[in-house]
Parts: sequence; C-alpha cells; structure tokens
Amino acid sequence: MNWLLRALGATAIMAFATVTNAGEISHELGTTTVPDAPKRIVVLEFSFIDALASVGVSPVGIADDKKRDRIIPAYTDIIGTDWVSVGTRKTPSLEVIASLKPDLIIADKKRHSAAYETLSEIAPTIVLDSLAGDYHASVAQMGVIGQAIGKSAEMETRVAAHKATMADYIAKIGPKAANYSAQFGVTNAKGLWLHSPISYNGSLLKMFGFASNMKPKEGGVYEKTYVPTTLEQLSEVNPDILIFGEYVDPSHVDSWANEALYKGLAAVQYGQVFNVTAHNWSRLRGMLAAEMTAKDLLEIMSGLD
Amino acid sequence: MTGTKTRPSRKSIVILLLLLALIAGGIFSAITGGRSDTGITQLWGVIFTPDSSLPQSVLRDIRLPRTFSAALLGVNLGLAGLALQAITRNPLASPAILGINQGAALGLTLSLIIPGLTGLSPDAMAVAGAMAAGVLTFAIAGGLRGKMDSMRLILGGVAVGAFAYAIVRFSFTLDDELARSVVRWTVGDIGYIRWPQTRWLAIWALAGLLCSFVLAQRFNLMALGQASAQGLGSDPRITLLLGTILAAALAGISVSVAGPIAFVGLVVPHIARIGFGADHRILVPATALTGAALMLLADGLSKWLSAPVETPIGVIAALIGAPWFLWLTLSTKESR
Repeated sequence: MNWLLRALGATAIMAFATVTNAGEISHELGTTTVPDAPKRIVVLEFSFIDALASVGVSPVGIADDKKRDRIIPAYTDIIGTDWVSVGTRKTPSLEVIASLKPDLIIADKKRHSAAYETLSEIAPTIVLDSLAGDYHASVAQMGVIGQAIGKSAEMETRVAAHKATMADYIAKIGPKAANYSAQFGVTNAKGLWLHSPISYNGSLLKMFGFASNMKPKEGGVYEKTYVPTTLEQLSEVNPDILIFGEYVDPSHVDSWANEALYKGLAAVQYGQVFNVTAHNWSRLRGMLAAEMTAKDLLEIMSGLD
Repeated sequence: MTGTKTRPSRKSIVILLLLLALIAGGIFSAITGGRSDTGITQLWGVIFTPDSSLPQSVLRDIRLPRTFSAALLGVNLGLAGLALQAITRNPLASPAILGINQGAALGLTLSLIIPGLTGLSPDAMAVAGAMAAGVLTFAIAGGLRGKMDSMRLILGGVAVGAFAYAIVRFSFTLDDELARSVVRWTVGDIGYIRWPQTRWLAIWALAGLLCSFVLAQRFNLMALGQASAQGLGSDPRITLLLGTILAAALAGISVSVAGPIAFVGLVVPHIARIGFGADHRILVPATALTGAALMLLADGLSKWLSAPVETPIGVIAALIGAPWFLWLTLSTKESR
C-alpha cells in the first residue's frame, strides 16, 4: 500500500505543478518561483542529471561526489563535461554552489532538507525525494523538473517515450517474472543492504512482476528503503533470484560463499545469483537509469526458463 | 573482618544471580535472530541431538559464535574498565572516557580509508590507536611522571577522545561506500562474526583474564594510593604501564571487532563491586562474568527489539549502561 500512496502523492504533486503558474513550482518543501528558462542549473543528486539529460540540458554544477566518472558516458554524451563539481551529494559545498551564480538548484529531500533555507538564499531551490523515493516518484519528478526548466512539452514527450519503452520491457519480462521472487541488494566490505519493496529498485522489480519475499511480520510495512541485512536475515527472505551490486571485490557477500546457510539459499541452489553494476542500479535513478536496469533484467531473465 | 559469617551467603546469592543472568542472557542471545525456524528447540537439538539440518547449522555456525563473541566482548571491555579504574584510582575511568575506544576507532578508520598506510592489519591498527590514545591521555594527566591528577585525566581523556573521533567523523563525509562502512562499524555491529573471529576474541579474553589475575594484587595496592603502593614495594609506574597496555589491548581488540561500545567498560566494574567488594582478586572473575552477562543480554535485545532489523549492539549497551550508571551515581551520593 505504501508504494501506492507514494505514487499517488507524487502524481498529486505533478498534477498540482501543472495547474499553477509556469514559474511557480510545487515541491517537497513548498512552492518556489523559478525564472522562465533557467540557464545555470545546479543539481545535487544523480537522478536530476537523468532528468536534464533527457531533454538535452546541461547543468553548470553537479554534486558528483568529487568523482567525475560517476557521471556515466550515457549522460556526458548529452550534457558534456563542462560542469563544476560542487562536492559530494551528502555534503555539497555551499560556497562552490554560490560561486556558480546558479538560477536554479535541484536538491534531494532526504539529503538536503536541512540546507534548504541556505540554498534558497543562493538561488531558487526545488527539493524532490530522489534518494528515498521509488521509481514511480522519480518519473513523476521528471514532470516537475521539466516544468522548472521551462521544457514541459519536451519532457512530456520523453516521459511518454520512456513509458512506452518500459511497457515493452514489461511485456517481455513480465510473464516470466510472475513465477519468481527477486531481491536486489548492494554490498561493500562491511555489509549487505537490501533495497526494500518501497525503494526505487524494489518498486521497479515489482513493476516488472517479480514478487518480493521481504515481508515484515504481522502485516507491517518496511519503513526503511535500504535495510542492513545479515546472512541469517537474508536466508529468511530467501528469494528465487538474488541480484547483487558489489561496490568492492571481494565484497561482504563473497565472504559467505562457503557457508552452509548461503549455499542453502534458493537462488544459490538454482544458480540464480546475478551481479550487476552497483553504481548504475543503486546510485542512478531516473528514466535512462531505469531503462538500463530493465535491460539488465531482460538479460537475466532470458537465461532462465 | 566483621560479618564473615553473613558475607558468604550474600555472595553466594550474588553468584547465583550472576550465573542465572549469564545463562538466561546466553539462551536469549542464541535463540533470537532472523530465522523464525531457529529457536529454543534447535538450541536443545544442537546440544543433545546434533544433526546437519539447516536450522541447526544456523545455530551452530552463525548464532553460537556470535553469542560467545558477545560474552567475550563483555569480558574484555569489563576487564579493560576494571584495570583503568584500578590504576587511575578513578571510578569514572573507562576505555570510552579516557579516549581509548576513540583512539582504536581512529586506528581502524585510518586502516580502512588508507589501506596501505602502515602495513598493519586493521586489528593491529585498532590496538595501536588505543595504545597511543591511552598513553597520550596519561601523559596529559601527568601519569608518566608517577603523579596522576584525576581531573586532568578525565579532561585529557575527553580531549583525546574528541579529537580522535572528530577525525573518524570526518571520514563520514568521504566517499559514500567508505562512509557507510565506517558508520556501520562505529555503531557496533557483530552480525558478521563467525567462529574464526570468536576464537581470536577468546584468546584475547583468556590472556586478558590471566594478566588481570597476575596484576590483581598490584591493583589492590594501587587502591591505597601511589605513595602507599610504593611504600609497600610495588612501583606504581610499572602497574600503570602494565595496566594501560592491558586495557588498551583489550579495548582495542574489542573495538576492532565490534566498534566502540561505550558504557560497558564503565558500568560493569561498578556492578561487580556492589556484589563482590573491592578485592581485585575476586573482582577480576566477577567483572568478567558480569560483563559477559550484560553483553549477552544486550545482544539478545539488539536482535529482538526491532526485528527483523537489528538494533546495533553498541546502541543497546549504551541504553542499558547509561541509566544504570546514572542510578549508581545518584544512589551512591545519597548513601553518603
């Protein structure tokens, strides 16, 4: 139910945004007046790059975690490489942002709400729920961003094309997916974090028709999007298909390889453990990102009966 | 020596209660966890009718090493606190307050963010960090000259700890995944522990216990004051040095395994003193048992409280330890 509410909420924001003035943008923390066609845009999450790239707009500043290669070629082919790094997504440098003299800042609800006032003093700021939002919310945010940058029509066309692409993938993946439960998680040196059903990846898997075995007891819902998980907890979830994004090699999950409990997992027994690029799945969200995820899933499913 | 007749009976009740807490905590820790098919029946099964079923292997390979590790962490942290309180003659001394935990955290963080820095393993870096922080705090307090000032000791420890932890916290702002690793470890997570780590902890706990026994008489003399200890033929500087090394090693190794768990080192010796008096020859085993019982309880709670998600054991230990300590402080004042 939770995802449904979120999707409805996101849709409501989008619908609301379309009825207000062109320069008035409703977002997570209120309404912001933005210039007609902002030229100097700073984005503080990767999914906002996805939005800009989808209508061919280049930001002047990106919170790229001070690692320029985190902006993958699929994006740089469109937005170029002339952006200034404004630091990490977690703690972007307000000074660098101010020095860029932006006319629009797009920030994340979970990461940057505390800095909203300060960001708003620098430039008109809109705040969207990228990190903790699900797939449907991220698509809904595309419309808000399209309006904020004065490219509503182009964005609508792109969103429609994206939905058609995804519908195509759903048609190919869906019938098989209905027979499986699937779970995505990222792992680094110290632990495994499962992306719960309310997360971006969780909602994507659900959309493709996969079941989720991540069910809290007694009818509760997961409050957390990213859930730290031990091997024993994973064995209780025990999905048919396990998809891991490894940030390091060897990862924490690799250290389980010889344990009886790991070998007993359904996904391990059926040879249905898959590795995907952690960065593309976990850090990137948006339309192009979702299409990459769908492509990976199609590849995974075409190998199964 | 008044009350020699009543003391054994009171002590035996305390011992009984402690053993009961230990067993109850152990069972609680072993039967809670992620899998609903693994509980008390399987625990009995592992002991009396072992087989190779999955639930039993979960208990044997995952739950039991963790349970033992929780107990051993309690032993190590309790003994570290006991040694520090003895050598500083300060009831507030503990690995966390003297900056030793934070020093270990800094050592481990450095080994995580700059892997090839010293060529030492993360464990060794944690012990080295603990040792460095301990020595620094004692130097600030004048301990190296043989005259320790209590106030300067606590202030020095707070300063050293704050400085070390500031650098640890700085690492939170670094690369996302690195920060997640460090954060995950600083809240105290022992979910990854298997038998190899448990064996390692057991060796340290055993060595710590032995060393504490050897030093117990020196600790008792230290309680009379550094001058009196010297008068009785025990050089306080040597006690200080050995006690510091012991505490730093035990705290360092615990921190490297489970993150900086606060309050256990502070509270456990106090609880043991209530039950068993001030003689370190008895306090050493009593502290070890109390520490083990407290951490077993904390481990069970950490898995049970917000299931299916775990509350880190470090958080639980602080939640139990802090109010206990407050109560202890207030009630001691009243009785004076």
